[in-house]
Amino acid sequence: MYIEELNQDKPDILINDCTCEQSSQQNITSVVDEVVALTGRDPEKVIIILQEVQKRLNWLPSEALKYICKVTDITPGQISGVSTFYSQFRHLPVGKHTIKICAGTACHVKGSPLISEAFKRVLITDNTNNTSPDNLFSIEEVACLGCCTLAPVVQIDGKTYGHVKPTHADEIIHDFLNSGNRSIKTTESELSQDIDAEIRIGIGSCCVAGGSKEILSEIIDVKERYNLNIRLKPVGCVGVCNQTPLMEIVTKENIHSRYTKVSKPQVEEILLKHIRPRTLNKRIKYNINDLVDTFLSDDKLSGQVNIPVELREKYLNNFLNHQVHIATENSGVLSPESYEEYCLSGGFEALRKCIKDSARESIIRSITDSGLRGRGGAGFSTGKKWGISLHTEGKTKYVVCNGDEGDPGAFMDRMLLESFPFRVIEGMIIAGYATGANEGIFYIRAEYPLAVTRVRLALKLCYDNGVLGNNIYESTFSFDIKIFEGAGAFVCGEETALISSLEGKRGTPHLRPPYPAVKGFRDMPTLVNNVETLSVIPWIIANGAEAFNIIGTEKSKGTKVFALAGKISKGGLIEVPMGTTIREIVENIGNGVADGNTFKAVQIGGPSGGCIPASKADTTIDYEELTKLGAMMGSGGMVVLDNTDCMVDMAKYFLTFTHKQSCGKCTFCRIGTKQMLNIITGLTEGKATLEDIEELEKLCKLVKDGSLCGLGKTSPNPVLTGLLYFREEYEEHTRGICRANKCRDLIRYSVNDNCTGCTKCSQECPVKAIPFKPYEKHEINQLICTKCDNCRIVCPEKAIEIINING
Amino acid sequence: MVKLKINSNDYEVQDGLTILDVARSAGLDIPTLCNCDGLPHFSSCMICMVKDKRTGNFLPSCSALARDGMDIDCMSEEVIFLRRKAIELLLSEHRAECEAPCKVVCPGGYDIPLMNRLLSAKDFTGAIKLSIGQLQSSGLICTDCPGYCENACRRKKIDTPVSIRNMQIFISQQIKQENNTLNQYIISFKENKEKSPKRFSSHIGKLDPSELSEWLKECSDDINRVREISDSDSAANESESCMHCDCRAADNCSLRDIAEKFSLKDPRGKLVNSPIQKKININSGLIFENAKCIKCGLCVRLCEDSKNEPSLCFINRGFVSIISEPLTENFNNILKTKTKEVIAICPTGALSMF
Repeated sequence: MYIEELNQDKPDILINDCTCEQSSQQNITSVVDEVVALTGRDPEKVIIILQEVQKRLNWLPSEALKYICKVTDITPGQISGVSTFYSQFRHLPVGKHTIKICAGTACHVKGSPLISEAFKRVLITDNTNNTSPDNLFSIEEVACLGCCTLAPVVQIDGKTYGHVKPTHADEIIHDFLNSGNRSIKTTESELSQDIDAEIRIGIGSCCVAGGSKEILSEIIDVKERYNLNIRLKPVGCVGVCNQTPLMEIVTKENIHSRYTKVSKPQVEEILLKHIRPRTLNKRIKYNINDLVDTFLSDDKLSGQVNIPVELREKYLNNFLNHQVHIATENSGVLSPESYEEYCLSGGFEALRKCIKDSARESIIRSITDSGLRGRGGAGFSTGKKWGISLHTEGKTKYVVCNGDEGDPGAFMDRMLLESFPFRVIEGMIIAGYATGANEGIFYIRAEYPLAVTRVRLALKLCYDNGVLGNNIYESTFSFDIKIFEGAGAFVCGEETALISSLEGKRGTPHLRPPYPAVKGFRDMPTLVNNVETLSVIPWIIANGAEAFNIIGTEKSKGTKVFALAGKISKGGLIEVPMGTTIREIVENIGNGVADGNTFKAVQIGGPSGGCIPASKADTTIDYEELTKLGAMMGSGGMVVLDNTDCMVDMAKYFLTFTHKQSCGKCTFCRIGTKQMLNIITGLTEGKATLEDIEELEKLCKLVKDGSLCGLGKTSPNPVLTGLLYFREEYEEHTRGICRANKCRDLIRYSVNDNCTGCTKCSQECPVKAIPFKPYEKHEINQLICTKCDNCRIVCPEKAIEIINING
Repeated sequence: MVKLKINSNDYEVQDGLTILDVARSAGLDIPTLCNCDGLPHFSSCMICMVKDKRTGNFLPSCSALARDGMDIDCMSEEVIFLRRKAIELLLSEHRAECEAPCKVVCPGGYDIPLMNRLLSAKDFTGAIKLSIGQLQSSGLICTDCPGYCENACRRKKIDTPVSIRNMQIFISQQIKQENNTLNQYIISFKENKEKSPKRFSSHIGKLDPSELSEWLKECSDDINRVREISDSDSAANESESCMHCDCRAADNCSLRDIAEKFSLKDPRGKLVNSPIQKKININSGLIFENAKCIKCGLCVRLCEDSKNEPSLCFINRGFVSIISEPLTENFNNILKTKTKEVIAICPTGALSMF
């Protein structure tokens, strides 16, 4: 037996030698000591300890893991299991900046795989590594950044770039490196009571990604320059996310003017159009400028600013008028950071009403009567769930707000938390009061830093104002809320997995019963409610169960918030009454499919849902109706697909997602989804047969029947609905035909006679597959071409076309 | 008390029992791989699936609690089909061979890897006894055989095959020398020997060259190998070149048994979730082969994870999740006292003893 020099192989993810100086042993111990002093030694704290250590070291060297085990009660097995389960944790050093490329549904259909390749091509030389040779950038594909309306999205260290094209990679990196030192002014100097106008500017993630911070800074600038008597008010999401940044001016006379896609140079014009400068010399300056402008240009106001008001607002009105705002009540008006404002708009009245003069039973009865069902996906009656929790004995009871919105293509929970944190908190306190719980936990996804910040601030304000803490409203009721940041695991949206995660374990679900409402966090009764569910609670209490109950269909009551994205003209966050048809949403609210293409299908419910074809678009939004079609309500991602989307590719996309996100515990989900993925991949490569499709169908049924939790049971839905409504397309793929020209192994790029020989394509081609031939028709060398799409994007003559290899 | 139906018979049982508990106490057989009395249930293998006819849902009986009004079906074709498929799925990522290639091709069916293990442990008596037990009525056939075993030997792909034939011949000579005392054995063994039916055998699928070298971990690195086996020392030396590509749990494998019970064939086209690895604990002799593991987690649950005695744990998520030593520990330092227990509880040959 030969042992002396055995290679004691460690798993690939581990590299023991850390090269970067900042991770020296001494530094590691001091960082860990510092973190543990904050968090304590409890094994339950493992996730937060790892998060904090990673925040400081940028990755998790194995020395750090060892040292954590040494100074806390965390065991080696636990720390290994947990740190490799959640995708947030890195066991390899990364570059200074992380480029996150969103791989959400909306981004995927708008070409994020090509973007990812483009960045890799620009930065990375070594295929096995995702970090640039100079250690400056690391590239990471993330599940969903929740900016679906700006798809495809790239985020570098928190700076978001929307509507990215593969040819932009260089430019973006350049812009990022140059923007590092630019400081942005976001606070104003004074605040006077008597104002000429209020300027509302969105500060939701989409708006910020659209550049609203720069606009805000410019407004402050202009305000100071002209000494304008205006109040700046940052507001939460308006929902019109595709038109960001969005600015609304409300004048003294209460006239509202909305401007979309505002650019920095326009700010001054817009402001001065509505508000006159205060001081005399400023006014003169303005007038002179005004005069000069009139001489210099035909029209002093440029761009969309000059569009007549009626036209400008028509689409906004169309977008907003078909909606009913309950969870998003006062959207675009409320500042997400002001407790006073929330109170002025009737906030915390519902809570006061509950605590002052309602018995628990009666609160639960009105929630039951309202017909509210869980908005997380499955649609269990919220009132019933509360009832179970109330009637279970427990020393301590918990309320958990499930904000682990992992569906690629969904961002409702993020928007609600970012824009209406107080409403969700109020809902949570009411839930706590009604079920006899005294502790609440916000479980918020790691990818939503802004939501975490807003909720944290809101919680602080609530404590300061006495709606949280001991003896709320002088009653005997006390309630505390903490925040727990998820660490990147889609499966933790499943409530039993979420609880495992809270307890510092791997997020593997277990069979229910026991339901968390009976035996949950720390084995105590735990009520787990989705963000949206909690955010409608105050409205129901304030307006009565009846008011909620009359909205909607027979079995699905109230409204539902959807994240409308994909190939739609006007995407965004919308709230519609149950019973609205899909067509109404797509055509009226979303203003139809973009770019003159035809509406093909709507993907509802993310990886658990399915693609509903355009022919079924008159289906109403209703839990049962959607389930009947093979999709499901899910959490509310709605991605519109057009004729350039391949249904097999969509199924592959979702299966890749579920297969990656499966916890790996039960056989059917772990291995079954892998086998399904293999067959689908074969189809997209034109290598599968009709028998394979049959096998795929069988596997779908097995995985559906045999999986343990919701993730596995619903993972075949995208394939099943695909086979049900688009079987022809699947069968075409066995003959090597992809009618949407999407599957890369089945297409090739070619130059048609429109080519004028401008050479742009040749210059842009990263692999030199197009010889440089000025004034001649260009040709693409198929052996070299990587199908990166660059040539097609830059061609001014539409001379590059995609052709089916076998078509 | 809970009233429920299992296979249309009424049962009344106390609260808190799983369906599996009830079924087993009623004498019904439900197969399981990831369940073990006394350990918390985990529901990973899903071979114990039953169907609640009332709701139409399938449930893993090992963790589903018996509840009032249930109408459990645990033997219909539909349920059996689902179980079969669960096993097939497990087999599809079970990249392992029940029998070594040398043994499979041997016309005499000799257990060559086992003999090599005995030889390398210098247990010559054991090796001789093993040989005798396997002798055919016509005696040893190696002398007349072209040596299919060596042709099949996986070591051939690395350098030269193990000198199996010569070793066997050497052993048979030893038998002849001790013939007088061992004659009895030969007779009794021959009488007992029945032709056993062909057993289920798993296959390894496509091998990557880097995976091939994983087996070398169990081999000696002696480069002065000789083909002629003249004495017990040279036999022992050469036997250390054997890569032990068979499974040590071939006759003690729940997965194999269950596959046979459901008369399954090894699925074509194995899935590769991670490259084949062999980890050897030099202190305790524990061997872990990831490709054989079915991720039932029994070994993880059996040992309480502690700093004094780190045990095995799950790492990674999804299809690539795997049992491993903790990232902070060396494989040599884990399971100081529990080695025997984990090997006994492992339903496959993923954990075995050197």
